[in-house]
Amino acid sequence: MGLFCRSPARFLSSSGTTAETVLAELLRELREDRAPAHVKVLLLSPFCEQPLVLCPSHSVGEETSLELMSVYSQCSPKALTLRCHLLLAITSVLVCTDCVRRRSNTAQDFLELLFQIVQDTSELHSDSTSRSLRATACDCLRELEACCPGLLSQHLELLGVLRQRESSRLHQAYSELYTLVMRNGVYQLAQDTGAGPDDLKALLEGDTSVACEVTQDSDLMNTKDFSALSSLVLGPMGAVPTLHTGLDCKELRSVLSSLLEDSYLLTPLAQADLLHKLIELVAMVPGVPPTIFRAQLLRLLGTIEVSLLHTSLLMKSAFTDSLFSAEDEAFLLKRLVVLSQHPLLNTPEKLFYMDCLLHFPENRPIGCGDETLPVLLTPQLATAVVPTVFNDSVTMLTRFNLLSMVYLENGVERMRKGEALPTCMSIWLLCLALWEMGATVKLLLPFLEPPFFFFFILVMQKTMQSHPLGSSAYQLADETQNKLQNSSWTVALLQGFQNTISNVSLTKLTSQELNSHLKIMARVAEEKDIPQHKTLLFLSAVVIASSSSLLGNWRLGNGILAVCRRLLTHPGLDTLLITLADVLQHMATSYRDTDIRDHSRLYYTLLTNLSKEKLAGVLERGTATEGDQVKKRTLSCIVAESEGHASILTIKKVEEAVLKLVELKTTEPQELPEDGKNWLCNSTDAVGAYRAQFDIPDFASEVTLNYQLVHNEKKASHFDHLFSICLHLSLTDEHYEELGDITVPCLFREKSPPIVKLKLKPRHPYPTFLRASAVFTTQDGLTWYSELPEIHISFQQTFCPVPVPPPGVNLHT
Amino acid sequence: MSIRALWIISLEKGDHVSLRFSKRFSTVEHRAKLLAGTAYVPVPDEDIVLQLLLTELGLSDPEKAFVSLRDDCSHCPRSPALELRLSGCEQDTLWPVLTVSQGTLILACLPLVDVPTKPRPPLFSLLSVSKGLTLLSGLQTFLLSSGGKHDPEGLASRLALLPSVLLQICPLGTPLDVPLAGPPATSTTVLPVGNQKQPAWKTGLHRGRAVVNVALTEVVRSMQYGNPNRQDLWDVYGTVTCKCEVEGVLPNVTVTLTLPPNGSPLQDILVHPCVTSVDSSILTATSVENGDSSAFWGPYKFPSLLLLSPSDYAAILLRDLMSAVEVKVNHGQVDASKEKNLLVWIIGQKFPKSREVSLEGKVSFGGPVPGPTDPMCSGLTAYIKLYFKVPDLTLSGCSVDQHSVQVYSTAKPKIFTARELQSSDYFIWNSTGTAPVSSGQMML
Repeated sequence: MGLFCRSPARFLSSSGTTAETVLAELLRELREDRAPAHVKVLLLSPFCEQPLVLCPSHSVGEETSLELMSVYSQCSPKALTLRCHLLLAITSVLVCTDCVRRRSNTAQDFLELLFQIVQDTSELHSDSTSRSLRATACDCLRELEACCPGLLSQHLELLGVLRQRESSRLHQAYSELYTLVMRNGVYQLAQDTGAGPDDLKALLEGDTSVACEVTQDSDLMNTKDFSALSSLVLGPMGAVPTLHTGLDCKELRSVLSSLLEDSYLLTPLAQADLLHKLIELVAMVPGVPPTIFRAQLLRLLGTIEVSLLHTSLLMKSAFTDSLFSAEDEAFLLKRLVVLSQHPLLNTPEKLFYMDCLLHFPENRPIGCGDETLPVLLTPQLATAVVPTVFNDSVTMLTRFNLLSMVYLENGVERMRKGEALPTCMSIWLLCLALWEMGATVKLLLPFLEPPFFFFFILVMQKTMQSHPLGSSAYQLADETQNKLQNSSWTVALLQGFQNTISNVSLTKLTSQELNSHLKIMARVAEEKDIPQHKTLLFLSAVVIASSSSLLGNWRLGNGILAVCRRLLTHPGLDTLLITLADVLQHMATSYRDTDIRDHSRLYYTLLTNLSKEKLAGVLERGTATEGDQVKKRTLSCIVAESEGHASILTIKKVEEAVLKLVELKTTEPQELPEDGKNWLCNSTDAVGAYRAQFDIPDFASEVTLNYQLVHNEKKASHFDHLFSICLHLSLTDEHYEELGDITVPCLFREKSPPIVKLKLKPRHPYPTFLRASAVFTTQDGLTWYSELPEIHISFQQTFCPVPVPPPGVNLHT
Repeated sequence: MSIRALWIISLEKGDHVSLRFSKRFSTVEHRAKLLAGTAYVPVPDEDIVLQLLLTELGLSDPEKAFVSLRDDCSHCPRSPALELRLSGCEQDTLWPVLTVSQGTLILACLPLVDVPTKPRPPLFSLLSVSKGLTLLSGLQTFLLSSGGKHDPEGLASRLALLPSVLLQICPLGTPLDVPLAGPPATSTTVLPVGNQKQPAWKTGLHRGRAVVNVALTEVVRSMQYGNPNRQDLWDVYGTVTCKCEVEGVLPNVTVTLTLPPNGSPLQDILVHPCVTSVDSSILTATSVENGDSSAFWGPYKFPSLLLLSPSDYAAILLRDLMSAVEVKVNHGQVDASKEKNLLVWIIGQKFPKSREVSLEGKVSFGGPVPGPTDPMCSGLTAYIKLYFKVPDLTLSGCSVDQHSVQVYSTAKPKIFTARELQSSDYFIWNSTGTAPVSSGQMML
């Protein structure tokens, strides 16, 4: 069951059954009397979790729910848990297969059954361990109404009576059901432009004649508009449908007051739901003043329960200053600040409150942007959320973000004056300490905001000693540039990195760290305004270290060369010339990798022979072609090697077959063996020789099949000219000896196709098929991999041809 | 407001991840489909969710510190709601996925979004988010009710109870309550008594001896540096719990807290939903209002802290593997664990007459094998962590007088009060080494 619910598709494919069979099987088991109740409960889970897999159409859904209802009617009254689960399963099937929306007969029968249950108060013997059937029936009705708003509008009065009558704990279930039905009923009326106070009265009093009329007029779910399902608590910009009742709507008011009075008896989660519905109701009926909630406010604002405080925010958003005075607003905001760092709450809750601070529903919002700080959130108030050592990294990041927004709002000037200086410094120190302890570089992100940036550079240059700057730091630099158009800050940041890296002791670095340091240095070397002496110093240290250790691999060499190449085009090259030449010469003579030595020699030659302008010209053309679809293999491209290697060295895969092998029909005479002449002379000898070869113990026959290698498709493409084609053939069974790869120098569409000889050595004469693939190079220098269609070898083809003289040759007998 | 799916994952030793429980609520999913229209993103198969979730939480590949999908600087996690990108395309995103985790257990759920999704709505517009968070932490408390101890069997047995628990608290994807942490109360008939409605959060009616237990627990966190350049930091918070076993549908209990005359006022008070009325002045006392003026900066000395505590001990985390340990203590016993690089000094329940305990010793490092490679063990590890409990003491001086507890009930109940101070994150740093420093506020 678990497997089915988690991944029905996989379950069905692995077990080889169909959903239909599973459904039949499940229903059969459920009807089985001897099966214990807890097993049946388990069998019901697919109906609850994956009803659409079991019942793909509404007709199947209807049949299935009928079946389940008959199981329900037959099960023992004592099996409460099973009966509850059956109700849930039927609800799920009916809702998901749209039977409820279509008002199918089964759905109507099920509604009747549920109403019977909720009205049956004889169920007094229920024990605490199983859920009351009545409560479950209420939940089912509520879900049906939630999925199909307006379904139960006509029963509102009955539900109201049931709610009031109930004084046991179950009153919660009745209250929730009643509130939802009322909310949807009022929504229905509000949609109807002609509806007025009488309609509202009729709805509440269960006057079915009027209510019926309304439902027929505007059955919410018969339209394609599902807005009735949406929350109506919108910001000041959202429009809520309203029901104009005048000021006199006593009935509704008294119902609302009674619900609110008893609301504290509900569990916090149920209370939150109830209050949400009531907020929506009051929002729709202007005749009821929002102050009806006033008495609940203090309780909601003081609560430890996140969902209850949440409802007060929703009230704030829906009613703004008609419920919350300016003092209330300030108080709520302060309360949010308190909650967002209260040690008794868990981290997700605190983060939630932090998010609420950023989206605080103000009475008079100034902007309606994405994230705006509430005006009342002053820097002084925000000091409460200054990160402390007790925070985890996500909390800290969230707090930094908020603080940076606060300081941004309040001007860099104040920062410069030093008002917030101590705070910033201490945040910084803490942040760095955490970074050392393994937090991600994202912690530093808020510091890219202007007010913090000043400190960022200052502190980094002073305090960062030996941080492993990963690829994330590299990204940070790029992000700085994107985020801040002011490039001098990126320069400052990169210079900081340069300082840090050049002070690092090489012996402490792992090769991975060294590679990422080189990557950052390459980025530093791109900056025209940064003096590159330190970069070069670092480079020569790395080069010397690499020649004396095992570090000198191809990858590292490329990292070094990448920095060198950028230095070659740096405006300050003149001052770097001698040291750079030394570095390159050293690399060219003593680096462990041949390829790197060659490249270094080339760079060295270019550096020592070309003028600065020419050098820049050659090298920059190399990088300029980057990203072009067709890359010409020029010298400059080779010079600008390193990064491009990734695309050149990677073999790209073509999904469709580019090539195919077509068998060459032997209409012309078989190619004669070397000793064909003799063979012609004496056919008896020839046959003898043919037979004699089988006497040699090691003899293995070899069958040569001829194929033409051609393009698979007619249409021209950039695969028209292919070079260095390597065909790889693989066997699919054991009956043949392994095949070697076949190489074809080139294949041009307009020229005659090359002939490929396939030499098969059968162990046993069985027909077979071969899988074939090809690796080839296109004109632009890229290498591709493509599968070929399978090659079928028939039984006849597995034999060496018996020597038959070519036609027109007379045999001597 | 409802949730579409629920997942419970456990992370075992050796990075073994398993999905311990999952539940999809098909009717809520149906609503999600109707609400989202063309923007609907179905909940994918569990293994996909699992993989994306672990990546997002940074648990999937410990070797890989930088995953651009997650760690990209332009994508900043600010809220408790994660987004799981099912494919490269932005439309194909599962949001908002809520998670809570403790120890090896991760709980996650996907709340229903019932407001327009374009542009992405703020979290506060979704009641399902706070309800989801409450449900998750309620389930977490239920599953880990063994008190934080590693208890795989207990966890497994409670996981097995989940289907019936969910039938009670979240039958069709709409969370109604959080599970009871303990076993259900013995006598819990739902007989209606008179006209008074019974609270839905009370498990039942009490029969038997009337007892009221009021317990005051304070928790102290501290960072002590012993260095004039670094401000010591501490904060104290506490809870008052009242367990009321009295007959009647709505027994009313009033608990009064008293503070010593020179004590600082209680701030940032949060109220349990069963508290029927609160004075607004209690709520307005907050630590955030006055800023620095109300803050009190150390030095903090707790001369009487470690009195009569049942389980005091200090743990010292050390770097590099210890090769030789010579330690002298004037009290208690020292346990040196070379494998874990840990010195544990069990001080015991009583102090000597001098009220001063000391540990002197010399630890040499550099064993044949290198020490643990946990990043926590490098650089900032020269600290002592103190664990202690002090019965009958609160730092704030706050107390509940037995006679001030008023119970409005026919039977005269026996009233018990207790108070206790506990430590949490109580660090003493090496005064000459590095230490994380921040200037947070002190709260009381």
